Amino acid sequence: MGTYITRRLLGMIPMLFFITVAVFLMMHAAPGNAFNSIMNPAIKDPQALIASLEAQNFLNKPLWWQYFHWIGLFVTGNWGFSFAQHAPVIDLVGPAIQNTLILSVMAEIITLAIGIPLGVLQSRKPYSGFDYTTSVVSFILFSVPYFIFAILLIYLFAIHLRIFPAQGAVGTGPNAGSLLDHIYHALLPALSISLVSLAFYSRNTRGSMLEVSRKDYVRTAYAKGLMEGKVFSKHVLRNALIPLITFFGLDIGNLVGGAVILEGLFSYQGMGLLTISAVNNRDYNVIMATTIIFAVAVLLGNLLADILYAVVDPRIRYN
Amino acid sequence: MAEPLLAIKDLKTYFISKDMEVRAVDGIDINVNERQIVCIVGESGCGKSMTSLSIMRLVPQPRGKIVGGEVKFAGRDLLKLTEKQMTDVRGNDISMIFQEPMTALNPVLTIGEQITEVLLRHRNLTKREAMAKAVEMLQFVGVPRAAEIVHEYPHQLSGGLRQRVMIAMAMVCEPKLLIADEPTTALDVTIQAQVLELMKKMRNDFNTAIILITHDLGVVADMADHVVVMYAGQVVESVNADDLFAAPLHPYTKALMESIPSLEEEKETLYSIPGTVPDAAAYPVGCRFADRCPIKQPSCYESMPLLREVKPGHLVRCDLV
Ligand SMILES: Nc1ncnc2c1ncn2[C@@H]1O[C@H](COP(=O)(O)OP(=O)(O)OP(=O)(O)O)[C@@H](O)[C@H]1O
Ligand SMILES: [Mg+2]
Repeated sequence: MGTYITRRLLGMIPMLFFITVAVFLMMHAAPGNAFNSIMNPAIKDPQALIASLEAQNFLNKPLWWQYFHWIGLFVTGNWGFSFAQHAPVIDLVGPAIQNTLILSVMAEIITLAIGIPLGVLQSRKPYSGFDYTTSVVSFILFSVPYFIFAILLIYLFAIHLRIFPAQGAVGTGPNAGSLLDHIYHALLPALSISLVSLAFYSRNTRGSMLEVSRKDYVRTAYAKGLMEGKVFSKHVLRNALIPLITFFGLDIGNLVGGAVILEGLFSYQGMGLLTISAVNNRDYNVIMATTIIFAVAVLLGNLLADILYAVVDPRIRYN
Repeated sequence: MAEPLLAIKDLKTYFISKDMEVRAVDGIDINVNERQIVCIVGESGCGKSMTSLSIMRLVPQPRGKIVGGEVKFAGRDLLKLTEKQMTDVRGNDISMIFQEPMTALNPVLTIGEQITEVLLRHRNLTKREAMAKAVEMLQFVGVPRAAEIVHEYPHQLSGGLRQRVMIAMAMVCEPKLLIADEPTTALDVTIQAQVLELMKKMRNDFNTAIILITHDLGVVADMADHVVVMYAGQVVESVNADDLFAAPLHPYTKALMESIPSLEEEKETLYSIPGTVPDAAAYPVGCRFADRCPIKQPSCYESMPLLREVKPGHLVRCDLV
């Protein structure tokens, strides 16, 4: 297992290389750069200033030179300077990662903690009133894009009931920045992501549970005299969860996508918001840093799923 | 005569849906005495598996229903027990093994977990004691390296070993009755013989009665004390094994016997019974075998023949014998 993980981690290096090259090229192909927008009337000769700033930051060098210059610094931990926010990229990325992590973990917990038990309950009494109503609700949730939920939740809880904040990742006042404050602020955006994916999880859990309940080994479990509850918790559930691991691995990618859209809607200072503003400002160093972090997150998600497979399914072994 | 261990009377198990009723088991009577090996034979679909699942009250839900009859086991009617009482019987007084040892074992649990689970359910043992007992039972059924195999998973074992594991699991609480639904069909011939031998050993050492379902008359000849021949959800002949092979009486049983390939004759083609089994959702009023019967009479189509005792201890469902 150890060698397998090492090999997978090493395998990420060429992938990250290609991803960064692609983003680097696209970024430079887009018109303009961070300095084009300088329009301070106090500056007598903006063109001369822009030219000197570009030269200072090597923007007049050939692209391949710029790429290797950037990557050379990046791997040594020097992630450069944000042109737009006048701060080291590391200082911007740190808190943004923390906020997005809180949001994503909360969204994932809500999704799994509601989606899986809901699917299990539905499968225990299939085609019952409970199954039908919750299934219909699931279908509705699943077919609505999550920014719609975001808007509804903001309207209901932030504007109408005024019990949750509509904006930001931290509040003001004595408790600002505490974990509780973070959770309080992340709740609405996390719910907006969760509603869609918990519907998805409950559908798949239900289907998987029903499929496994028909297996021969479940009949064997009953033939041993086990009670229904034990048969479900020990024999059905464990096997039914195996196919769900694939979705769990993909979730990290979904959460990244969700973060970009929802952090914008909620002005939540995470990686998504940081990326959007960096793209708008052609803030090259920030774009590259967030690209790498997102890419690593998605690749690690896939790796995590593959490791989980081996943990829960003894038939899968990596050597 | 002593009470039989298991007495099934007029058992009916149907699959009921809105527009039809499949009569999988349609009024079965079977007696099994203590230590007796009873073989149930019959073509595919005649209701052998549903009979055995009905005894265990494990008929596929939600459509399968036991609609009538009695399953008396050691004096109690199993059909009248609560579900909780029934779980005390399963795996403890009556056990079951199935055709496919690959799919009948849980792929994600170790062999040890799957065997000890039965003991922990029915016996007051600690996990450690249960594990020791599991290893002992595996050794008893001839599983090599039993102490290591308890930590392995089903996919790591061969088909024959898996079926031995199934037998160990079924026998670990020393049940009075073992139901084996085609336990050797999925195995190759040499392994088949070993597994059958093992089942005999179980009967001899634990005094367990066995219901053995098969459609292999060779297996019947080897194993059975008593034979029940089923056709279209009913018993058509029921007699001790020696008399059955000496003189089968029901035309269906005779036809079955002729379909066994015999080594001496080296027949070119295998005899098979012409015609098809009637649809279980629409049985005719008369004899269900009539369409395929070589000695049929017009009267056979008029009313259902009863299961009669034509000789002492020899029951046949045919009015013409
Ligand atoms: N889940 C089900 N729903 C509806 N009908 C079923 C179901 N399972 C079995 N049956 C029907 O019940 C009848 C008896 O089936 P059963 O499985 O007992 O046959 P069998 O004698 O064991 O056959 P085989 O030798 O193929 O195992 C068949 O006609 C079959 O079509
Ligand atoms: Mg069968």
